[in-house]
Amino acid sequence: MAHCWSCKAQEEQQTPFCPSCRKIQPVGRTEDYFSLLGLPRQFALDPAELDRNFRTLSRSLHPDRFAKAEARERRLSLERATRLNDAHRYLKDWRLRAAYLLKLAGTDVFAEGKTFADPAFLEEQLEWREDMALAQADRDASGLREIAARARGRLQALETEVARCFEDDHWFSELVIDIARLLSRARYYDHIVADAERASAAVAS
Amino acid sequence: MPRAIGIDLGTTNSLVAHVDERNRPRILPVDEGKPLLASAVFYPPDGAVEVGGAAKRRAPERPVDTILSVKRFMGRGPGDIRPEDRGIYQFDEVGAMVRLRVGGGKRTVTPIEVSAEILRVLRRAAGEALGGAPGGCVITVPAYFDDAQRQATKDAGRLAGLDVLRLLNEPTAAAVAYGLDKRSQGVFAVYDLGGGTFDVSILRLEEGVFEVLSTVGDTHLGGDDFDRLVARALLEGGLTPPDPDPSPAVLRGAVAAAQRIREALTDREAVEAEVELPEGHRLRARLTRAELEALIQPVVERTAAPCRAALRDAGVEKVDGVVLVGGATRTPLVRRHVKALFGQEPLTDLDPDTVVALGAAVQADALDRGGREDVLLLDVIPLSLGVEMMGGVVEKIILRNSTIPASATQQFTTYADGQTGMVIHVVQGERELARDCRSLARFTLKGIPPMPAGIARVEITYSVDADGILQVSARELTTGIEQRIQVKPTYGLTEEEVEHMLVESIEHAEEDVSERFLREWRVEGDRILSSLETAFAMDGELLQPDERAAVEERMRGLRTAMEGTDYLAVKAWIESVDAASKAFAERRMDKHVAKAMAGHRVDEFGDAPPATGAKGEDQDQGQEDG
Repeated sequence: MAHCWSCKAQEEQQTPFCPSCRKIQPVGRTEDYFSLLGLPRQFALDPAELDRNFRTLSRSLHPDRFAKAEARERRLSLERATRLNDAHRYLKDWRLRAAYLLKLAGTDVFAEGKTFADPAFLEEQLEWREDMALAQADRDASGLREIAARARGRLQALETEVARCFEDDHWFSELVIDIARLLSRARYYDHIVADAERASAAVAS
Repeated sequence: MPRAIGIDLGTTNSLVAHVDERNRPRILPVDEGKPLLASAVFYPPDGAVEVGGAAKRRAPERPVDTILSVKRFMGRGPGDIRPEDRGIYQFDEVGAMVRLRVGGGKRTVTPIEVSAEILRVLRRAAGEALGGAPGGCVITVPAYFDDAQRQATKDAGRLAGLDVLRLLNEPTAAAVAYGLDKRSQGVFAVYDLGGGTFDVSILRLEEGVFEVLSTVGDTHLGGDDFDRLVARALLEGGLTPPDPDPSPAVLRGAVAAAQRIREALTDREAVEAEVELPEGHRLRARLTRAELEALIQPVVERTAAPCRAALRDAGVEKVDGVVLVGGATRTPLVRRHVKALFGQEPLTDLDPDTVVALGAAVQADALDRGGREDVLLLDVIPLSLGVEMMGGVVEKIILRNSTIPASATQQFTTYADGQTGMVIHVVQGERELARDCRSLARFTLKGIPPMPAGIARVEITYSVDADGILQVSARELTTGIEQRIQVKPTYGLTEEEVEHMLVESIEHAEEDVSERFLREWRVEGDRILSSLETAFAMDGELLQPDERAAVEERMRGLRTAMEGTDYLAVKAWIESVDAASKAFAERRMDKHVAKAMAGHRVDEFGDAPPATGAKGEDQDQGQEDG
């Protein structure tokens, strides 16, 4: 239960604006990126709904709406708009969204020192890197683009796999490590996409 | 009721505009009734400072005391002014900020103060025209202005007594003036050919969010080049008495005449004029539009490459609209050229000299009314913000193109046992190494309790507000010691360098990445070598002589590899040292269970090690490069 800083009215639920005096309210402790964007706390989301909610909320919370308001309201608007942008950035990207869900569940899978021995995958990575080095040596721009496209395909498959893990009701206890491993694989593919694209641009120029 | 105003604080000219009772943006008269105020400030040894046309006319006789084009010094340190921009100005080399010596050497002023003089005149003029002090204002800045340049602009506004509601990107302002923000989406080019600078930006509008996709420019290309070419041609045949080597005063007169003739040729096919020049010279000028176009064709052609580069950088092939900014874009040849380049007629309903100020006024008015229900302009940060880590590598904290306001937090740890301070070097740019990025600030977080390396946790938070201005705070988590700073510039890059940073970061990506890995692995190697030396000294007795010799041999191998440039070799040797010292580490761990965390950590596989020292570990934030 929170009190409005301005009219002191009590609020049942944390909302951006006080229901009685309409003043902007600070971000509450119980608000997470999902609730900030008015979305259920789950991996599956409709990107169109995410963007729609983001824009609607931005319009009412952005500092542009408070340029002439008193200092406290300006500060709260900056705070809320910042959190809203951060939330949007996180939830938009499926990797960040998955890691954030794990974190909310109390499993900070990427905390210090925790890595996942994944020898089979390491082997595969070395092959990707070799392919890339060869294509680079041959100054083969289309080959490099093809590698990037293949890595993108892998990323898509990983996203599907992660989504399936989250669909399972028991994911938080048994599938956490699986999800974390999939996410760390995704990081490697992200690097391959970026490196291959940079290399193909460099070769082409 | 005070009225909000929009200000275009330009390199050559500045303007102020407001939205009138009929909801239309209007330019307000400033300098002797004219809409343009020359961005010129004259500091006499005694008496009042002069601003605008009057100051500009002083330039020939008092070049040192008349500051022109101060915008290129904004947010700069003495070290980053290019020789060609220094001109004849006298700089005070002390301090972090540029200071110009003026008033016959009697005083020094910062670019912020010089800009504030210009803004003060605009504020007064607006007050007179509106019949009362203006309310809040919006000031425009180039899209690629970094944090220091934005901060300097905002400071100048405050110094001039203005209530700066928002800084707005110039190309975004131009698009707003045309009402492009009311469309639901599209890709637009803003072609800005001013007196002395050229830049082209590609913007994308998607659901009320403007994103600057790319900006490419040439800081030494503009309408002034047209006039110099025309003046030279006129002097060759039309000067009486003839003079093969005219004096600077005669040249200046001829350039001014050339500008008037060029402008007249916008609406006419031919111009004939006779002009009085200094030193008893006369200039007879006859010029047709065709002749003019033949003369300036090569300069106009030079804008093509930046336009193509901007489209390429933005990853688009065509645009939905082209906006013209800058007086030189009135020239019919320029318009034809733009049409050919972008495959469509540019938008020409608005005066290209005033379009940026008009857009700023529209936005100022909207902010003054508490924002608009229909549209929201969300800007993005132009260059990534990061922190320098051990080995000079940059860890990006807020990525370029993040919607602002934005914030991000990253945790780091100490590098050495008992380390009590941590230097936090804030940089902006896309390159991998801190020395290639713009340095924004450097401060030291002190009072970290002495602990073994890697135990203390320092949390660094970057917050960027809606003007793109950064605030950094650092907090040691075990003690809660906190330091917060508003980032003030230490030193920086030139405007041109900022423009080229993005391009460069792509060109140098390959070299950067391997250099980055090399540095990171060298840091890691150093850390492992020094922690093993310490461990030998403390617990040498845990190893048999032959075991120790085996470890030491591999350490020698690692040292040799670290002197080379192959990061893969360094990485391989590190793994080899790790493997050889594993038993030693285990015995030590048994011996010092409590201190087990301080020394070794068997490293993860992968291409890049986590940077130690200041170590980013918030991997779930996905803030790494790539």
